[in-house]
Amino acid sequence: MERAGGGEPWRPPRGRHRLPPEVVARSQRDRLLEAAIRLVAATGYGAVTVGDLTGEAGVSRTTFYELFGDKEGCFLAAYDNAIDVLVRRVIAAYEGEGEWPERAARGLTALLEQLAAEPQLARLSLVDIGSAGPAAQRRYRAAVQRLTPLFEEGRDFAPGGRGLPANTSRMAIGGVTGLIADELLAGRAEALPGLLSDVLFATLVPYIGPDAAAREVERLTR
Amino acid sequence: MASNETRRRDILEAMIRVVGRQGYKATSVADVIAEADVSRTTFYKHFEDKHECFLAAYDLAVERILDEVIANCDGERTWLERVRAGLTTIVDLFALHPELARTAIVEVAAAGADARQRHWDAITRFTEFLADGEDLAEGRELPEHIALMAAGAVSGLIFEELLTGRAERLPELLPDLLFALLVPYIGPGAATEEMRRAATG
Repeated sequence: MERAGGGEPWRPPRGRHRLPPEVVARSQRDRLLEAAIRLVAATGYGAVTVGDLTGEAGVSRTTFYELFGDKEGCFLAAYDNAIDVLVRRVIAAYEGEGEWPERAARGLTALLEQLAAEPQLARLSLVDIGSAGPAAQRRYRAAVQRLTPLFEEGRDFAPGGRGLPANTSRMAIGGVTGLIADELLAGRAEALPGLLSDVLFATLVPYIGPDAAAREVERLTR
Repeated sequence: MASNETRRRDILEAMIRVVGRQGYKATSVADVIAEADVSRTTFYKHFEDKHECFLAAYDLAVERILDEVIANCDGERTWLERVRAGLTTIVDLFALHPELARTAIVEVAAAGADARQRHWDAITRFTEFLADGEDLAEGRELPEHIALMAAGAVSGLIFEELLTGRAERLPELLPDLLFALLVPYIGPGAATEEMRRAATG
C-alpha cells in the first residue's frame, strides 16, 4: 500500500458482492494498519486493545487474527509501512540534480510536508516512540539510518569535512529532530513546513559553519 | 523517626533508581516501596499512583542536574568556559549515577505524554544557559532557535549512548558533545579546536 494515512481508505461495498477475497483482505488489512497508527498516536501503544483496532477498522476479530498474529504484529506492520513511505519520499526528493545544500533543502522540505500532512505519524515517530515499545524504536532508528546520507554528504561537500567528528551526522539529525519535536509538542504539526530555514541551517551548520549555512539558507529558501 | 518530607524524598530517590535500573514500564509500586523501605500506606499518603510519583521523581532529577550545573558554572567566566564546565558536569554526573541518567533521558520517554512534555520543558531550561552565546556571533544574525538545535544535537548524542547502556563512558563523549553544542555558534573549524582541547584535557 502506497498511502500512509490521511483520508478514508477504500472499503468494499457492504452486503453481497463479488470482489475477489484477496482484494477484500487487502482492504481490511489497510484499514487495520491505518487504525493502528491512529489509535496508538491518540492513546499510546499500551492503551490500545485488539478490540479497539477491529472496532475502528470495522473488521472482525477472526479476520484480525488471520491477518496479524497479535496487536504488536499489526502495529509494527503499520509503522513499517508508514515510515517506509515517508522515507522513500524524502529520499526521492533529495536525490537528483544539484549540490548538496540544494538537495538537502529539497529532502527536508519533503520531510516537513509529509510530517505536516500526517501529524499522527509524526508524533508517533518523533515524540511518542518511547512508548511504542523497543521493536518500534528499533524501526524508527533504522529509518533515521536510511536518511543519514542526506546529512553525511556534507562531509564531501565541506572543505575539511574529513576532519569532522564521526558523530557529525548524528548531531545534525539531533538538531533537526529537536526542532521538529518542539513544534509537535506545541501542537503545531501543520506549521512544520515553516521550519525549513531553521532545519536547513541545523543540517548545514556542523559541516560548513554558521556564515556559509546562513548564506545557503537565504539563497535556498527565498 | 523520619519526617514526612524525608520519607517523600526517599520514595522519589527510590523511584529514580528503580526506573533507571529496570525501566518505567517494568517498575511497580511494590518495587519502589521495597527500595525506599517504606510501607504501601506511606506511599499512597504521598502519591496517587506510580505515574504521579514518577513525575515528581523526574522533577527532582532535573533539579539535581540543574543545581550541579549551576554550582559548577557560576563565576566570572566566559560563555565558552561555562559551556564546557556545564557539559562536563552533566557527563560526570551521569557516569557516576547511570540510573539517574537513564531515568532522566531515556525512561522519561516511556512515561506518557505529560512526562515527555516535562522532559522537553527541562531541555528548554538548559537552553537558557546558552543565551549569551549569541554574543559570539559578532553581529551576524543567528537563527532564532539556535539554542534548541544545539540542545537537540547534544541530547540526541547522550540519548544514543545511554540507549546502548554506556553511561559510564559518557565522559569520553565530551569532545563530541562540545563540538555539537558550539558548532552552530562558531562553526566547525573553531569547534574542532575546542574539541581537541577538551580531548587533551
